Amino acid sequence: MATMTTTPAAASTRPERSERAARTISPPVDIYETEKTYVLLADMPGVTPAGLEVVAERDELIVRGRVERPATAPDYQEFELEDYYRAFRLTEDLDTDGISATLRDGVLRVEIPKSLGVQPKKIPVRTE
Amino acid sequence: MDTRAMRDPWQEMRRLQREMEHVFTDFTPAWRWPLTGEYPPVNLTRGDKDISIEALCPGVDRASLDVSVVGETVTIRGERHAEPGVTDEQYHRRERPIGTFTRSLSMGDRLDPDRTQATYSHGVLKVQLSRVPEATPKKIPIQN
Repeated sequence: MATMTTTPAAASTRPERSERAARTISPPVDIYETEKTYVLLADMPGVTPAGLEVVAERDELIVRGRVERPATAPDYQEFELEDYYRAFRLTEDLDTDGISATLRDGVLRVEIPKSLGVQPKKIPVRTE
Repeated sequence: MDTRAMRDPWQEMRRLQREMEHVFTDFTPAWRWPLTGEYPPVNLTRGDKDISIEALCPGVDRASLDVSVVGETVTIRGERHAEPGVTDEQYHRRERPIGTFTRSLSMGDRLDPDRTQATYSHGVLKVQLSRVPEATPKKIPIQN
């Protein structure tokens, strides 16, 4: 059964790279499944297309977003922009070659089609 | 996220905020903004003649996004929609808030609506507010 689970950034077992060690925020996500795809939506305000990276590597989907921090601190502050990072485990039922990603108004949308083998296939019924 | 200590001039504003703001309506509590319940979160920078606001609100329906200025108050309204045609059962994970929001901020200074500018880009709403210059005291001649 195709699933997509989230891997907490802190628990990553990959070799440390400097960007991972930098302070990052895990963006809130919605994940839902349709008959043919998985859709992931992530809130990443402040990220431009140039600062976005979506990588599907083996069984992992990694989302990274760079933000530009302002030169001066505001007088009153409720939020602080930080780079985004989050990783998701993919199962082999997903066709990572068919992944598409779009970024609009700070929301990342990733669509991953299910491999044809697991899509419900309608069997034509012949009548004799 | 850390919030830094506020300087004195903003304490009054914060008190007024609590009196005036509204929280998400039509909003499932499980997905409320986790920090303070105030949405969208804002950063403010005060200049000599202006005040800039940055509000973090990705994915807002632009047709619903509304910024209005009256007196000393600026109000930000908008709506974030759920994905059309997707049922609850289809979701494996749901963390993003949806619904309509209204947030009013009192600036403590009269604002000029005609010189207010707002842009929405990459999920960040930026509002440039202009403060109405204080009237010069008018000298009243004393008549005998």
